[in-house]
Amino acid sequence: MLARVDSTNAEAARLAPGNAGPVWILAAEQTAGRGRRSRSWSSPPGNFHATLAFHPEGTAAEVALHSFAASLALRDALVALTGLPASFALKWPNDVLLNGGKLAGILLESLGRGAGVSHLAIGIGVNLIAAPAAADLDPDALPAVTLLGETGLRIAPQALLDHLAPAMAERIAQLSHGFGALRADWLAHAARLGQPIRARTGQTTRHGTFETIDDTGALILTTSEGRTAIPAAEVFF
Amino acid sequence: MSKHSAEADVAFISALAELLNKNDLTEVSVKREYGENDSLEVRVVKQSNIVQMTATAAAPAIAHAPAATATPAAATVANEDPAQHPGAVTSPMVGTVYLSAEPGATPFVGVGATVTEGQTVLIIEAMKTMNHIPAPRAGVVKRILVSDGTPVEYGAPLMIIE
Repeated sequence: MLARVDSTNAEAARLAPGNAGPVWILAAEQTAGRGRRSRSWSSPPGNFHATLAFHPEGTAAEVALHSFAASLALRDALVALTGLPASFALKWPNDVLLNGGKLAGILLESLGRGAGVSHLAIGIGVNLIAAPAAADLDPDALPAVTLLGETGLRIAPQALLDHLAPAMAERIAQLSHGFGALRADWLAHAARLGQPIRARTGQTTRHGTFETIDDTGALILTTSEGRTAIPAAEVFF
Repeated sequence: MSKHSAEADVAFISALAELLNKNDLTEVSVKREYGENDSLEVRVVKQSNIVQMTATAAAPAIAHAPAATATPAAATVANEDPAQHPGAVTSPMVGTVYLSAEPGATPFVGVGATVTEGQTVLIIEAMKTMNHIPAPRAGVVKRILVSDGTPVEYGAPLMIIE
């Protein structure tokens, strides 16, 4: 547990060379919290910012499936703490939504080594009590919500970690037996399945129906040009 | 005498060039028979350091173009396949490639840059996992074979480091 850090993923990268086993880094505050493509992630005290760092087995493509394990584990922990299973949904690939708003973001960073990776950092940010204003977000993004605002529940970061750490260990163990069961669980909680969505990769935005995810985790979108598998994109509703 | 105009030929050739770019091909050759002693043979080739691995997959789209028969571009680049180059860094996964840490930032490396073993040379993203790809050996970046923000296939050559 750190009082203050630039980012828990950055701390994980610094620790990686000497770090043997899985380790959780929880920070009360991040001064340079990051999201996808180095977008800033608002990280005031009272919110949850933590990273799980470890040395995963498997190919780089298999390691990327930890995205689904992480979002399911976070949902498991939040459901256990709130008793509100119907309120939480998952947005491809790993956002956790509460009442349709963005509650949490997960960013995984790995360092490649041959066909596999030498270490993986799973960074998780949860808006427990505070969320950025709409003006500070992508105009197409979902509204940001807080656990406190939506449920009236005030959960301490350490209490969330106490539930998240075992949930994550369980989901990662599940993934070690293959993606099948994890994929089915993820799809059972997926937001907008069978509905129209937009997927933006670089300058390209594709409109289509969110059919499913395939056995590599890729988003399967049916567009006017047919079915397409998308391994990386930002999804908009 | 040609029964079709030179203007039509030019329009046809520019349409082919457009097709080439649109489908990320490196070469298209077409022969059109207009009648006895009247045919047009065109070969459009793109010189580029960027080798698009979508070329083979894109080729069937050409087959549907009116009156066009195409040679898959893969056949023309096979002789100098960068994936077979001893200094090639290949993609360990399907995903999107990024040449810098964030949009608009200085790229990790440029052509001519000296790199040390283990230094991050690019990132490949899949499922919101940012996989930092290290230089497999120390050397000089000779070629960068991908552009920022574009899709890459498993095994695709990304960079040549010698």
